[in-house]
Amino acid sequence: MNKTRILVVEDDAPVRSLITLTLKAHDYAYLTADTGESAVLAAASHNPDIVLLDLGLPDIDGVEVIERIRSWSNMPVIVISARSEDTDKIRALDAGADDYLTKPFSVDELLARLRVTQRRLALLESSAPGESVFVNGQLRIDYAAGCVTLGGQELHLTPIEYKLLCLMARNTGKVLTHTFITRNIWGTSWDNDIASLRVFMATLRRKLESGPDGPQYIQTHVGVGYRMLKVE
Amino acid sequence: MREISDTRRRRTSTVMQKDPTADRAGGEHILACLSSSPSNARIMHTASRMAAAFRGSFTALYVQTPGSRNMSAADRERLHANMRLAEHLGADISVVDGEDVVEQIAEFVRVSGITILVLGRSSTRRRHIWGPQPLSERIRALTPDIDVHIIPDPASDSDYREGRVHVPGQILSGVSDLLIMGLILSLVTFLGSLFLRLHFAEYNITPVYILGVLLISVFTRGYACSVISAVLSVVLFNFFLTEPRYTFHAYGSGYPVTFAILLATAVITGTLAARLKDQIKLSAQAAYRAKILYDTDQQLGKARGEEEILRVTADQLRKLLGCGIAVYPEQGGRLGDCVYYPLQEDGPREGPGDREREVAAWSLRSRKRAGASTEVFPDADFLFLPVVIRGKAFGVIAVDRRDVPVDVPFDSFLLSIVGECALAIENDRNHKEKEEAAVRARNEQLRADLLRAISHDLRTPLTSISGNADNLLHGGDLMDAQTRMQVYTDIYEDSQWLISLVENLLAVSRIREGRMELRLSPQPVEEVMEEALQHVRGRGHSLRIEGRDPRGDGETLLLARMDAKLIIQVIINLAENAVKYTPAGTEILVGARRRGSEILLHVSDTGPGIPDEAKPYVFDMFYTGRHSVADSRRSLGLGLYLCRSIVRAHGGELTLRDNVPHGCIFEFSLPAEEVILHE
Repeated sequence: MNKTRILVVEDDAPVRSLITLTLKAHDYAYLTADTGESAVLAAASHNPDIVLLDLGLPDIDGVEVIERIRSWSNMPVIVISARSEDTDKIRALDAGADDYLTKPFSVDELLARLRVTQRRLALLESSAPGESVFVNGQLRIDYAAGCVTLGGQELHLTPIEYKLLCLMARNTGKVLTHTFITRNIWGTSWDNDIASLRVFMATLRRKLESGPDGPQYIQTHVGVGYRMLKVE
Repeated sequence: MREISDTRRRRTSTVMQKDPTADRAGGEHILACLSSSPSNARIMHTASRMAAAFRGSFTALYVQTPGSRNMSAADRERLHANMRLAEHLGADISVVDGEDVVEQIAEFVRVSGITILVLGRSSTRRRHIWGPQPLSERIRALTPDIDVHIIPDPASDSDYREGRVHVPGQILSGVSDLLIMGLILSLVTFLGSLFLRLHFAEYNITPVYILGVLLISVFTRGYACSVISAVLSVVLFNFFLTEPRYTFHAYGSGYPVTFAILLATAVITGTLAARLKDQIKLSAQAAYRAKILYDTDQQLGKARGEEEILRVTADQLRKLLGCGIAVYPEQGGRLGDCVYYPLQEDGPREGPGDREREVAAWSLRSRKRAGASTEVFPDADFLFLPVVIRGKAFGVIAVDRRDVPVDVPFDSFLLSIVGECALAIENDRNHKEKEEAAVRARNEQLRADLLRAISHDLRTPLTSISGNADNLLHGGDLMDAQTRMQVYTDIYEDSQWLISLVENLLAVSRIREGRMELRLSPQPVEEVMEEALQHVRGRGHSLRIEGRDPRGDGETLLLARMDAKLIIQVIINLAENAVKYTPAGTEILVGARRRGSEILLHVSDTGPGIPDEAKPYVFDMFYTGRHSVADSRRSLGLGLYLCRSIVRAHGGELTLRDNVPHGCIFEFSLPAEEVILHE
């Protein structure tokens, strides 16, 4: 059986045991680390599929752990932050983290994030690099033709909306910060760019999504950024 | 004259306030008088030692008389050296204006609460047996309550003295004065001979000469011309107008008496006129200064904030001294940015540079004047005066000495205005401190109230969680499955409730300076509502966003300027409130619409509604409804209070009205936002 292996980095024992209990109950394989240094070591020696990383570690800053892992691996990192300040999450995401969880989180939330990341991994494995067509549920992007269809119907997107959609599609499953997106689309990251981004994203979502019952492609993280979800 | 004495009193009272130790109980206040005498240094040293011995304060006073304005360069240099010495010895320097030195000293002693006066020997000796009463005697007479200490002064020659003849510069009359004198005297002599030819009596001629001398004293400077012309008029009268004419002989036996009387009258008239002129000049000057000081005072009284006070001061000084003024405010013990007020608004002069800044910094630190015409950095282009009161420095005022070569440094006027400025800034700071303290107190009150509310609400769920967990640990096996499930549910719900409480707590921690600290940005309202609803768990309630039109065109996209975190918290609180007070299965709707330049958000339910008598209290801090419909859970009375605070911080208002047919609607407004799209 191909179990997903998860590295749990958390210095607080009760929270660590809560996470490992949950993982065990849902049939994940896991290993643990309680400091930043041992986390980097474990990530290098065991090559886990996903890292769950608490930002407040006793020895080094969680963001530094992400940077060190990112120097040689693209393994998905989900950040756990006790601080509700958005800036910490944004720093971690900009450093290369894929997703975040804010304490206190529920068991359901944790499992949902893991599923999203697993789908992302699956998507990365199934799609060869350089592939010219992206498919996510009913959404289909033909990069070569510059054409987007939803359920076979062509979507009429403005150039900016198309660029946004492509950027989101290439990073499916990953939370992209406002700064990351505006830098990629406009090259700058001013307040007005971020305001514009919100408008474009809202209109893009309206075009993509059919209502509360239909599938959700783009998820908003208020104050942080956006993410494209993999739709089954 | 009343005005002059007013000025004097005001000035001396400023000095008093400037004195850091004046109000120290039982402290001696020692006064020594400054002069240009070389022996004055000794007096200063003695006074300083006395001040140290008595642990008192020490003031050095210089009385500026009309005569002292004309002192020689050497005397001026010595005077300044003595002033610097006094300052170095820790004296507060004061300068007053007046004609009578003794009167000024006595006044100063009275107003400033001087207890000991130190004088040099020379000022206590009578010059001649018939000379004027010595200074010390007169001062004693005027101020009977103070100790006068007399310092032996072997080499005294130019200390304070009365009379003016010795003052150099006044004897020297200009060529124009001599011309005026010659002209008037010839005119008078011509008139005299005319009178003689017309056979007027001789007693008519003497007054003409007296008139001449009077005119001369009016139109010339100093006393010399008056005295010389008095003597000359006697000579001319004798030579031209008495028999035998054109000789210095006189036949009439009465002539010597006439000459003597003429001489005496002319001398007295002349000196009186000259003196009167001086007094007029002095009082005009004093009146002018009084007016400027009054103006400054009024403007400073109106000025709000240090910046304006310094600007007003600089402006007045610039007008008065006729030179550029630079101002360095003090900011947290350090020198702030310099503001330069050049003499001409668009003048070519540059403000003080980095080197000047260092001098200014020194002046602020040491609370002493520095720069041009002082001993410290004398080659600087500016004279730096610290704005000091009660030992606290509020900034540095720099006088541009490139504009004024004259002798500004110890001008009493400059010092009084700088003193007024310091006083105004001190008052301003005190006022501000008081206001800040009041705001702090209000904040503390608000925070204390909120924390009290929260800690009360924290204890209950914590008791339940820890108690239930304890039961499970020690008797879990004995419970039946249903009871155990109930205990698990309780623990879970209580912790959920704590989580939402902590979220509110974070919002409370954003209250600073009595206001919510907002991080405003334009946000799509729909996304915010969605995010908020993800955090609300209904007990079988139907929670949804109203009127959602997923395929709508771009125009219906609502953007509002808000602090997303806090507004999400508001929606969560309102929705949770609705869940709490309505029976299961009730529909709860969250929606938004645009009205003019605002976006109105609402949370509505179709529950039983809120009775009219409870409506006025729902937003109160500790109010919790007493509904029996919902579960009997405690409610965080803070919820709605906090919601309203957050909405108000956004400039909106949270209102409550009845839903049709029943239920209630909470509605609040946010400013709508237009975004310029970057395509």
